[in-house]
Amino acid sequence: MQATEHLHDHDHNHDHHHNNTQAWVKTTLLFGLGLYFVYNIVSGNLTNYINVRFSWLSYLAAILFLLLAVSSVLKLLRNEHHHDHNHDDHQHESISWSMMAIVAIPLVLGTFIPSRPLGADAMNGDFNMNAVGVTTTVSFEKPPLERNVLDWIRMFNVSDDLSLFNGQEADITGFIYRDDTFTENQFLAARFTISCCVADAVAVGLPVAWDENIPSDTWVRVQGHFELGEFRGEPKPILRPTSIEIIQQPEHPYLYP
Amino acid sequence: MQANQEVKPILRRMIWWLIGLVVVGVLFAAVLGTGQDAGMVLSIFSTRFLGIFIEAVPFLLLGTLVSGLLEAFVSHDDIARLTPRNPILATIAGAFMGFAFPVCECGVVPVVRRLYSKGLPMSVGVTFLLAAPVMNPVVFISTYIAFGLGPVLIGRFVITAIVAIGVGLVFALGARPQEVLQPHSLMPVMGGSGDVIPLYAKTKRPSLLVGLRQALDMAGDEFFEMGRYLIVGSLLAAAMQTLVSQDVLLALGRGPVVSVMVMQIVAFVLSVCSTVDAFLALAFVGTFTTGSILAFLTFGPMVDIKSTLMFLGVFKRRTVFYLIVLPMLMTLLIGIWLNLNVVL
Repeated sequence: MQATEHLHDHDHNHDHHHNNTQAWVKTTLLFGLGLYFVYNIVSGNLTNYINVRFSWLSYLAAILFLLLAVSSVLKLLRNEHHHDHNHDDHQHESISWSMMAIVAIPLVLGTFIPSRPLGADAMNGDFNMNAVGVTTTVSFEKPPLERNVLDWIRMFNVSDDLSLFNGQEADITGFIYRDDTFTENQFLAARFTISCCVADAVAVGLPVAWDENIPSDTWVRVQGHFELGEFRGEPKPILRPTSIEIIQQPEHPYLYP
Repeated sequence: MQANQEVKPILRRMIWWLIGLVVVGVLFAAVLGTGQDAGMVLSIFSTRFLGIFIEAVPFLLLGTLVSGLLEAFVSHDDIARLTPRNPILATIAGAFMGFAFPVCECGVVPVVRRLYSKGLPMSVGVTFLLAAPVMNPVVFISTYIAFGLGPVLIGRFVITAIVAIGVGLVFALGARPQEVLQPHSLMPVMGGSGDVIPLYAKTKRPSLLVGLRQALDMAGDEFFEMGRYLIVGSLLAAAMQTLVSQDVLLALGRGPVVSVMVMQIVAFVLSVCSTVDAFLALAFVGTFTTGSILAFLTFGPMVDIKSTLMFLGVFKRRTVFYLIVLPMLMTLLIGIWLNLNVVL
């Protein structure tokens, strides 16, 4: 395939081989990033990072990375024998090692650090008991036993009289969170909510009264009913479980408001 | 020109080392400071960082691809031809030209320089230069995905238009090209950016296949150039969320004036591409004022370290000073005004 574009001669005083190694590393990085996105999609790890609503963006990223990688390989093969440069008006610096090192960072972190969703350790005493996007009425139309943590909090927020929830049955899943502002038999059945990606993650939770000490960050399914009680000095409906079941982390660890 | 060529890479390298050192230092101090298990901190940090990266990188790729395609298939004559002749009208049109020619921040400076050599009015170029990085379909979609259809999305485009047209009109009133441009930018065939500029005029359109190949090659290179800003920016945002305590952030982020200034500095230093900065801004939403978020999303695309270096290749120093200070003051005032008067 002979290039028909303008070949523009100018001094190439940089080392050809050095450049070639760089080009191969660059190509490898593009392939690596493409495969990393494919891996995230296939393994389901993607749900640890972004709202599933936007997973099509990751499909797009995988395709584009692989496309760029293939194009980069083709260019390399073309250039094995003659060395052409595309000139353009963009002020391109040549791709340097430091640039490639930086681009390798997500690949390294993604490969060597086991993928985990945000959990109890990421909360650090910071969670939201109040208004969490009360823009949707979907929460109110759900049958009580299908409501999740976020749905219940929204219901509490718009209610004038929290005692109305006394005796209402609930069936929710969340991870266990405790800190020193809770009384001894309380924990929070917590979830992170994300609207775009984990950058906007906000933790929410329902207070549960339970005497057994289940370790923090354990995923549980709590079935029980609400009783108005006191949580951190405020009146709140408190979930009184009839059963608590320790479960696997759900497929979608986050809630999407 | 030779000296210029030597100085810039060294300066650039120094900035990078400095940023790297600061990042590493802050990370060490902070991990030791939290008293949490270091492995746990690293895991949370990694999740936060990869979350921003994974959400943002498709837009970076799209942006680079679009600018690659534009480079390959659209000549600057096309842009010059479509610009209105009346200077005031043209200045206003200049603010929205980006939607037709979606160039990113890094692409806009060379395009503007080219357009000046084709006789584009001074003010139009300035407006286009400042507005184009935001007035762009890719930026619209990414901001929409990050913030939804709301005050931030609308504010971002309205403020950008106001500031860009405002600064453009200032130049329309006062300046003549000879006073603001580097002499070589006035010449039809230019050099002096520190890069090799092709000697041929790009008048022939390439065939489809060759054009696509050029576009992909350019996009690949540009991904590495722009990707590092995104990655360093995401690292810092994730580190901030993981390591800096909520109280400190609230102290900085709640002040109606201070928060705007802080976010402007953050925008200037991080130099993150406008196609993806909305996702970084998300990290600040809980703690920083809306005015400051908007300042980040409007000032950052207009002026940052990387674009300042490019401005210096085209404009005289005094002009570069105005190009930095005017948008800075205008976005600062608008940000503060929003914080004080508008409940968003």
